[in-house]
Parts: sequence; C-alpha cells; structure tokens
Amino acid sequence: MRKLDPACKFIALLVPTFFLAAKPNALWNLAVFAVCFLLLFFSRVRLRLIVGIYAPVFLMAAAMFMTGYRFPSDSSSLPVNAASLNITSSAVYNGLLMGSRVLAYAAVGVLFALTTDRIHMVKSFRRHFRLPQSFAYGLLAAWGIFPHMAQEYRRARAALRMRGRKALPVSPAVLKPLLIKSVRWSEELAIAMESKGFSGAAKRTEYLPCRIRVPDLLLLLVGCVVLPVLILCL
Amino acid sequence: MALQVENVTFAYTKGGRPVLQEVSARFEKDRITVLTGASGCGKSTLLYLMAGIYPNDTGFLRGGQVRLDGENPSAWTPPERCAHVGMMFQNPELQFCMDTVENELIFCLENRQVPPGEIPGRMDGALEFCGISALKKRTLLSLSGGERQKVMLACVTALQSQWLLLDEPFANVDEKSAAEIAGKLRRLHKERGVGIVAVDHRLDHWLAAADEIRVMEEGKIDPQGYPVGSLSPDWLEKKGIVVPGRLYREPLLPRKGGEIALSLRDVSITLGEKPIARELSARFACGQVHALLGESGCGKSTLFGAITGTVPYGGEICAGGYSLKKRRRLPVGLLGLVTQNPQDQFVFDTVYDEVYKSLLAKGEQQAAETAQRILRENQLWRYRELSPYMLSQGQQRRLGVAALTAYDCRVLLCDEPTYAQDRRNTIAILEGLVRQVEEKGLCLIFSTHDRMLAESYADQIWHMEGGKLYAQTGSRV
Repeated sequence: MRKLDPACKFIALLVPTFFLAAKPNALWNLAVFAVCFLLLFFSRVRLRLIVGIYAPVFLMAAAMFMTGYRFPSDSSSLPVNAASLNITSSAVYNGLLMGSRVLAYAAVGVLFALTTDRIHMVKSFRRHFRLPQSFAYGLLAAWGIFPHMAQEYRRARAALRMRGRKALPVSPAVLKPLLIKSVRWSEELAIAMESKGFSGAAKRTEYLPCRIRVPDLLLLLVGCVVLPVLILCL
Repeated sequence: MALQVENVTFAYTKGGRPVLQEVSARFEKDRITVLTGASGCGKSTLLYLMAGIYPNDTGFLRGGQVRLDGENPSAWTPPERCAHVGMMFQNPELQFCMDTVENELIFCLENRQVPPGEIPGRMDGALEFCGISALKKRTLLSLSGGERQKVMLACVTALQSQWLLLDEPFANVDEKSAAEIAGKLRRLHKERGVGIVAVDHRLDHWLAAADEIRVMEEGKIDPQGYPVGSLSPDWLEKKGIVVPGRLYREPLLPRKGGEIALSLRDVSITLGEKPIARELSARFACGQVHALLGESGCGKSTLFGAITGTVPYGGEICAGGYSLKKRRRLPVGLLGLVTQNPQDQFVFDTVYDEVYKSLLAKGEQQAAETAQRILRENQLWRYRELSPYMLSQGQQRRLGVAALTAYDCRVLLCDEPTYAQDRRNTIAILEGLVRQVEEKGLCLIFSTHDRMLAESYADQIWHMEGGKLYAQTGSRV
C-alpha cells in the first residue's frame, strides 16, 4: 500500500465509500473493514499505533451498535420508513449496520493515513489534481508547524499556570497566543522558503516525479468499478 | 564584486520612524564581514534589505538603493535571487518546509531547477562538505539547533549561492557547534569564493573566521571597517557588544544557600524513543543563582519543561515540599518560568497588565505603583498600552523577565534569558534577576550557552551532558 500512488489510492478508497453510503449493508461494511484492516496489518505499520487509533473507533462502533440496537427503525417514530432505507426490522441487524458503518469508514481513512507519506501525497495531488504549487508546498510547510503547535499549546497552558491563572483547554487565553504565533511562523516560513528559491509561479524540476503504474491502475479499477458494481448488485 | 548599500532610509511603517537613516556601506566579496551593534540598531533590517527580502515582504524603502553585484536584489524572482544570495536565519526551527534533511535539499534543488540527474550528486556533495552525511535520512524535527543550522548551510552550499547572509546564526547553538559552523563558513568562503556578511552581536565565534567587523549604532553604520581583533574590549563594551572572553562583571563572593527549594531525584525523561535525561539527581537552594550549561539539544529546555509540567518524566521532582507530579494541588507562586521565547509566557492583553496583574495580590494601589516602577526601570513605560506581541524582541525579553520577577515565586526558571541580547541588555536582565534572588531569597536557575555569563553571575554551575547533570567542580559554592 505504501508504494501505491497517493492520488490513485485516494480515489480508489473514496469512491466505494459513496456506494457503501448509498446501499447500507452490514456485510459489505464488515468486509471493507476486514480488508482495510488486513492491508494495514501487512503494511509495516506499528501494531501499537494501530491499536491506539482503533481503540476509540471500536468504542464508537460499539456505541453506535447499541444506539441502533436500542432504537431500531420504526416507521411511527422516524420521518422515513424502514423499507425506504432498506433496513430490516431486526434490532440486532440495525445495530450491526450502524456500528459496522463506523468501522468501515474509519478503516478506509486510517488505511490511507497510515500508509501514505505526506510529502509523496502532496506531490502526487499537485501533479494529478493540478493543485497550485504555492498551495501544495504551503500545505507541506504548514504541516511542519503542527508539532510546534502542540508544544506551544502546552507552553501556553504552563505559562498561565505559572501566573496562577486557570484556563479551560480551549479558552481564548490559551488560543490567542497560538494564533498570533502561527501568523508569525507562517511569515518566517514564507521568507525562508523564498530564500531557498521557492516561488508559486516559477517552474521547478521534479527529482522523483509521481507516475501512475500498473498496480495503481489495478487499484483504481477495483475501487472505482469492481467494488461499486459488487456493492450495487449483491 | 560587492554588495553595496547607498543612502538607504528604511521604515517598517509608512509614516513611522526610520529604522535605517541614510545608510551607506560596501561589503567586499573576498572578505567575511560581521555586522555588529546593540540590539535594535537596525542590523537585521539592513541584512534583509541586502537579501532583497525587504521591502518586498514588508516596510518602505524611503530612499537609496541596494546593489548586489551591480543589480537590485529585490527585483529578482526567488529562484533568481537564491542563485545570488542565500540566507541563514536566527531561528533554526522555522527554516524548513519538508520533513527530512534529504527532502529539504531536494526541495531547494528543485526550486533552483537543477536537472533531476544532478540532484543526488549535489545533495551528497553539500552534505559531505558540511560534515552531516549521517543526517541525510533524519527528520528535521529530531535535530538539535546546531544540526539544523548545519543543514541550512548545506542547503546554501547545494544552491551554490554567490553570497551568504547570516542573521545571528549562533543564537540557538552551543559553543562547540558554533565553532564548527564558523569553520565551515570559512571553508565555504575560501574554497568556493562565497561572499559572507553576518549579523551578530557576539563576536567570539567569529574571531577565527571573520576578516572585518562593521559596527552599527542607532540606524547608522560606521563608515570604517575594523580588522578582527583590532577593537579594544572597552570600546566594544561601550557600543553594547558582547566582548569575547570577558566576564560581565567581577564575580562576587558566593551567596550562602538557604533551604532546598527544588530537588530532582532519579529524574528520567524520554521524548519519543530518545532518552533525554537519565536518573538526574540535584538539589537547588533558595537564595542562590544556578547556571545550567550544555550543548544545544542536550536537554536543558526539556528539563525545564519537566519541572513546569509540559514534558512527562519518571522519578520525582519536588519544590517547596510538594511533588510536582500532583500539579493540581500545587500552591500558586511556587514556580516561575521565563521562557526562551518571551512570547510563550505572555498571558495578558497589554504590556501594563503583564506586570500589573502579576502584582494584584499586593493590593491595587501598591500593584499600580510597583508596575509603573518596574516598567520605567525596563524602559517599557511608554509602551504600556501596546500588546506585548508588538514589542521588539529585546523589549519582549525585558518584559518577560520583568513580569515574572514581579510575580513572587519560590523557584524562578529562566530558559536562556539573554538569548539574542546585546551586552547591555544581558547585564540589565541578569542584574534584575540577581536582585530578585537577593531581595526575595528565591532560587534562580537559568540556562545559557554563554560560559562567561555563568561564570559572572552563578553561585553554582551545572553541566548537562549525555543525559546527566554534573555540578561543576571548583564552582563557587
């Protein structure tokens, strides 16, 4: 999964989710989740990371299952009837449908996020989706700021604590310094990028151009044609 | 081949006071020139103008012109400009937009439109020249300040810029790394003929590397260039420049410590996979000044982070008899922190409130009087209605220290309180802090790369190295 072109991977993973949304089917949801989970497992992603990310996903899926199970579709209480949504009257199936949907969507997103290099992704999007150069590289530079943001957030809270001030996690006292700093950082970064010859308008060479290869085309075929057809027909 | 500034007058705002007043100077390519002067004298502004960044990015050029090898640098597009002039900035954290050293160098070379086939050779050559081939695959986030500056130097080397302009390149770098980088700059100049102009208020790192010193004062530049070593220490001191190898004051007799204010017992810190501190144990007494020295990246700031609760740790840290792991139960006023970047500690909307609200426990009347006195002492009274973020870096630093010293605390931690300050401000800041120690009996711990500063003011010097903390033998305690 890591070697596939990110733009192709993105489309191949995105398209089936629309069909899953259009035709609710617990079996398909679970199948998509299982396939994504297996692909992730064999993509050399750290097990600890997978567990850390999936723990809240499972919790949410369980919560959705209980919601669906406890409040099954009922034509008298819902604005739509069960038949129009293609939901069976079984409370368990309804819960399973809702819970499995969380699993399927989360699995698709996690698979993409954990098997895609961010630099490779932005370069691929720029080439295949014709993203403007300044937007693509601005995105990469902004990405580099995120670790600083987390650090700065902790610092801002510590500074308030040091002065005997209590602040909620999202209070303006904490967020205001972060906002001001982000503006300054972006200015400094922009100057640094320009000093290294970057310009939104100028031509650049590409050391490792993102090319679409046969496995990428196969993935597109599966994601955009085979899976949608199967979901609609079965 | 020269960099020429002719009668330049420049201001940051349209009707504002000019930062540079009819400045004229010529910098030769066959010399390494260091432009020095007190904080706020306009040296960084002049550098940015010479690099063609100003007035494109900000400010107003009211008169005069800049000529780099006969051409106007601000008229070039960024790719054209980087072929002529490369920049190295003060803050090594905000110079990169990629994730790894390799990707950053590729980014530079792609901007310069180097054919893909030539990129690996130029990249490896630059890394080898800067002695950082081993860092090629490392992420930039995992590098120390000194290593990042070397990567920046590798970028400039790879870009093959004709000129290199440096804005306080050693401000975030320890002495050993600074000496290494200065040596590499000298090699870059000698072997590749790169013209170098650096802005720095500390000259000690440049003694072996630079050819000429130029001095700026209040927006003007001294027309004469001085050979390195020809300037007398007293003259430098008068100009507010840090004098290499000279103490900031005659060390006084050591203060006798009171009760233990802060103690570390078997403190271990790991960031990601990297161990930063291993079973540190130390005790810091009230009424004393402690200096923490160590190479950049050795973990000084991280240790302060553990004490203030922004970094998780193992072992035990106690202050005033309280374990710092139970932060919710800590009494207010136990710890104070002056951060490396003063902006990290501003919590109020105006300069006045930063000091006044720290003093409110003493009553409104007394708080107002004391706030006024403190702001006047720090030459900040006239900025009292401004946001702290609108002050210059030197003023922010003074406000940061003033706000925390106004606030009564038992242990005051200062993370490089004199970072990027000239000699005059350095002395003013440290004198102010030491006065707090003497008047209030607090325990002051400050980190620095400046050994002379530690020798001048500290009762006890600590070295952080290899994840351990060592008390300097022969320290005055």
